[in-house]
Amino acid sequence: MSETRQYGELGTQLVMESRRSTQTDTLLKYNDSLVRLLIREQRDLEKAAVAHVVASADADIPPPALMIIQTAIARNKRCLLAYHNHRISFLCSLYWSLGASLPPLLSAESTSIRAKLSPHEVDYLRSYHASVMTFRSEFSQELDITASIVQPPKDLHVLVHVVRDCGVIQTESGSIDFRMGHRFMVRRSDIEHLIVQGYLEEV
Amino acid sequence: MSSVDSWEADFHRSKTNANAASGPSLPRRAPSALMEEQEDQPMPDFLPEEPLPDETPLEQLTRHWMNERHAPDILPAQDVLLSSLLDHIRRQSDTIQLLRGDPSTSEEEHIRIMLAQTEVERVKFIVRSYVRTRLFKIETYARYIIANEEVQTRITTAERDYASRHAHLIDRHFYSSVLQSLPESQAGLDDIPNFIMPPMVTEPDTTRAVFAHARKGTIARTPEGKTVDLAKGSLTLLSFSAVSDLVSSGDVQLV
Repeated sequence: MSETRQYGELGTQLVMESRRSTQTDTLLKYNDSLVRLLIREQRDLEKAAVAHVVASADADIPPPALMIIQTAIARNKRCLLAYHNHRISFLCSLYWSLGASLPPLLSAESTSIRAKLSPHEVDYLRSYHASVMTFRSEFSQELDITASIVQPPKDLHVLVHVVRDCGVIQTESGSIDFRMGHRFMVRRSDIEHLIVQGYLEEV
Repeated sequence: MSSVDSWEADFHRSKTNANAASGPSLPRRAPSALMEEQEDQPMPDFLPEEPLPDETPLEQLTRHWMNERHAPDILPAQDVLLSSLLDHIRRQSDTIQLLRGDPSTSEEEHIRIMLAQTEVERVKFIVRSYVRTRLFKIETYARYIIANEEVQTRITTAERDYASRHAHLIDRHFYSSVLQSLPESQAGLDDIPNFIMPPMVTEPDTTRAVFAHARKGTIARTPEGKTVDLAKGSLTLLSFSAVSDLVSSGDVQLV
C-alpha cells in the first residue's frame, strides 16, 4: 500500500465531486478511475486490518491501529455510497424535469448525458422508468401524473412556437404537423410534454 | 351574460389572491366551477379564512395537498377522497365532450364549457402535485418505509409497492456499482448503525418547524411535554411532531 496518501483522502475527493456537482447544478462525468482507486484502497485496508487481527490474536485489547483502519474503511465505504446516491438522485430529478421520459436522457446524439453515465446508472434509469410507469398506470384513466407540476394551468390553450420538428401529433382539434418555425394555438394538455422536452416553446 | 361576468371577476379575484400568496384561494373558486358547469346558479360567496364546516371534496384535497407539501413525514393517504375526485373529473370530462359535440350548444354555453374545462385542468394539477409530493417522499424514505409497519398503514397499496420496488432498485444499484467489488466483509449495507457512522436509513425529520393553522380550538403537546393552546384561526410555529396527530385528525392545517 502506498504510504504517500492519508486514509480517506480519495473518499474526500469523491465527495467533493458530488458537492461541486450540486453547486454548479450539472452532472459531472462518472469518475470511474477514482471509484476504482478507492475500491483498491478498501481491499488494501482490509488486508492491513486482517494482518493486525492476526498479530494481536492473543492480546487483551485490540491495537489502536486496527480502530483507525476500521474507521477509514467505514468512512470510505460511506463516501462511495454517497457519491453514487447523489448521482442517482440527480438523475432522477433530471428525469422528472424532462417529463418522465427516458429518450432525452439516454439517446446517444441529442445530449451528452448518456456519455457521463456508468453502465449501471443506465440500467438503474431503465428500471426506475419501468417502476414509475407501473405506478402511473394506476391513474392513467383520469390523468397523467408525470405531467408538469411547475406552473398551475391558467389557460386551456397556449400559443406555441415550434423549435424542432416533431412530426404529426394528435390533438383535440385533429392532427397537426409541427414543423420548425410554425406557430400554433393548441390545447395545453395535448402538447405539454413537447414543451417540457424542448420541441415547442411558449410564445 | 352576467353569470359569465361574475365568473371572470371571480377568476381574476382568485388570481390576485394567489399572487398575494394566500394559499387556499384556488380551491374556493374551483369546486363551484366543477359542480355547476351547466346550471345557472349564483356563485356561493365563501368568506376567506373561515374553515367551512362542510368542505367540498376539492377543498379537502387542497388542504391535504398543502399539508403534504409542508409536512416532513408522509401523511395518511386520502385514497377515498382521491378516487371520488378522479371519478368526478372523469364524469365532468365526459359531459364536456358530449356538450362540445352537440351543435345546439349556444355561444354562451361554450364559454362556460371552456371555464369548466380549465377548471378540470386545474384540479388535475392539484391531484398531480399531491401524488408526486407523496411519491417524492416515498423515494426518499423508501428503506425507512419498508422497515416500518406503522408507516405502511399510512400509504396506499400502489405506493407501498412503489416503495419496495424503489428500495430494491437502490440496493441493486449500490450492490452492482460498489458493494460487489469490495472485500466480502464490507459488502453489506450498514443497516444497523455502527459506532462510527450515522445510520444509512434516511428518516423523516419530524422535529422540523411547521406553521400550524388551527381550524378549531385545540391543544398541541410538544415532545418536551409542554402544551400549547391553539385558538381557532391562529397561526403557530411548532415542531411537526407536536402537531402531527392534529394534522391527521384535521383540527390543524399546515400553511
